[in-house]
Amino acid sequence: MQLNTTMAVNRISDEIWEIPVSEKPGMLVPARIYATKQILTAMDSGVFEQVTNVACLPGIRRHALCMPDGHWGYGFPIGGVAAFDPREGIISPGGVGYDINCGMRLLRTDLTLADVQPKLDALMTELFRKVPAGVGSKGFVRLNRQEFDEVLRKGARWCIEQGYGWSEDLQRIEERGCIAGADPSKVSAHAVERGIGQLGTLGSGNHYLEVQVAADDRIFDLATAAKLGITGHDQIVVMVHCGSRGFGHQVASDYLKVFEKAMKRYGISVKDQQLACAPFRSPEGQDYFTAMNCAANSAFANRQIITHRIREAFATVFGRSAEELGMHIIYDVAHNIAKVERYEEGDLVVHRKGATRAFGPGSPELPDIYRETGQPVICGGSMETGSYLLVGTDRAMHETFGSTMHGSGRTMSRAQAKRSVRGEQLQQRMAARGIIVKAVSMSGLAEEAGFAYKNISEVVETVDLAGITKKVAELRPIGNIKG
Amino acid sequence: MAPFTFLEDIVLADAAFEATGDSPSELFESAAQAVIETLVDPRTVASTWHRIIERQDDDLASLLFDWLSDIVYLKDAEGVVFRTAEAVVSQDTASGIWRLRGALAGAPIDAGRHSLRADVKAVTKHLYEVSRGERSGKETWLARVVLDI
Repeated sequence: MQLNTTMAVNRISDEIWEIPVSEKPGMLVPARIYATKQILTAMDSGVFEQVTNVACLPGIRRHALCMPDGHWGYGFPIGGVAAFDPREGIISPGGVGYDINCGMRLLRTDLTLADVQPKLDALMTELFRKVPAGVGSKGFVRLNRQEFDEVLRKGARWCIEQGYGWSEDLQRIEERGCIAGADPSKVSAHAVERGIGQLGTLGSGNHYLEVQVAADDRIFDLATAAKLGITGHDQIVVMVHCGSRGFGHQVASDYLKVFEKAMKRYGISVKDQQLACAPFRSPEGQDYFTAMNCAANSAFANRQIITHRIREAFATVFGRSAEELGMHIIYDVAHNIAKVERYEEGDLVVHRKGATRAFGPGSPELPDIYRETGQPVICGGSMETGSYLLVGTDRAMHETFGSTMHGSGRTMSRAQAKRSVRGEQLQQRMAARGIIVKAVSMSGLAEEAGFAYKNISEVVETVDLAGITKKVAELRPIGNIKG
Repeated sequence: MAPFTFLEDIVLADAAFEATGDSPSELFESAAQAVIETLVDPRTVASTWHRIIERQDDDLASLLFDWLSDIVYLKDAEGVVFRTAEAVVSQDTASGIWRLRGALAGAPIDAGRHSLRADVKAVTKHLYEVSRGERSGKETWLARVVLDI
């Protein structure tokens, strides 16, 4: 098997591969990659280099992990998962990413493709009007500093208090949309100034809002799907992919700088400057943790405001209230975050970067409605292919710190994608296939063409076969909004 | 030689560029222009908004990093995109401290008028490098920068 590394990569099972500690000086634990042979062979050299760099970080427990959608990232690989002892371990912005609590949200409806198709263009136009996207876009919520601090403390709960959502929404969001211990005094004025006007905006890059169809032949587990609110029969659902916008980006940038200096003080050396870190219990580590929680809450609030606008848009176009249209949230999950969670070893600081929490059935953190099914996991594909709804498993709790994949991952550079297709061409081509796309930037649209991404189905099959999540349904796009 | 070149295939999901100049001032202008052109086609942006930026640092690479980060910050905080960036960079011979006086010109973001491109999240330290060299007997400055998109 020809891999993009000279390191020894040993087979543990058909879907698990291990790099032993002997392969790089300083490795404290082995690195494990979840992949089929085919996916492992296609992985870029950065994955092997970076996951073994992570395995060198102080206080790491069990293994440094990479999910099958793994590819090169800053510091950690995208798809990276690592857990650290809170007493002797570190916290690193490189294990969270610049877009703190970038995540996925999925809403169901009672509408079918037959209901929506005749009004699809009007629906996408209304959604495009209601949910600002693109470079530096501003939202409709106007806040002063005090109000913004409340958003940072309360996350989606603040939105519900202000009437931007339903009280039942909160139980359908990871951490009920509000992570405790967020302290706005630990974020910079620059971060606040970047984020205060951006609530309810999508951003750009690979972020999107998508109207999708759940067809009967793409539901893999009917009973679980029904419990999650997926009824099939060409049911319409809505998926949102975005994060904490400029606020979170600035928090990450600010603390990378703080940690570069702190590392010297604590005598920590890392293999890559983007892995800058500090002891979790140090003042710098705790300041970042609480600032990161502010950003995580702002992202939950961002997706909640977007949900409110989506419900308004559907109500306008279909002339019925969102309640009448059955527009319940299925779930909202973070895929760029660090959290303290309890495992066999006790409390651990789990970093997930381009990886999703996937708690199994019976987990006390899950709301009653999902206690039996396991936590819903939402994985976004490219805008031309499908996305997936899965559920967490017991096995993930024992093997991967309750974590799984998050999406498909790029295989082609943005420049190459732009050379291969023009945004307008892609828009027309997708329209011919029944997918209406509204985009702020045509060059940005071309960069997100389906051929620039891995085949998400292969990635999903891997986590399903490995048993760390079980697939429930594939969701096919019919409308997409991009920045 | 072009003042900046986008580097392909260094980072699949993001944007990277190499900027050059015959002096630190030119280098700062070239690198700023690369960030501006990642965000927008500057030919579609008027110069109705102006900002002077003054910074100093004992390390030129850190000064450039902060100057580029200022552009990313102002894009969100002020809701603007940019047309031009001018920079005067000098070094105090006694203290060795580098000083920047930069001037940005642009306009409030208008999706209808501006040909917007990618939103930049951050300037990163990945492969970040500022170096001084020589070309045809002349001093030349080079920076390699990766932007998170």
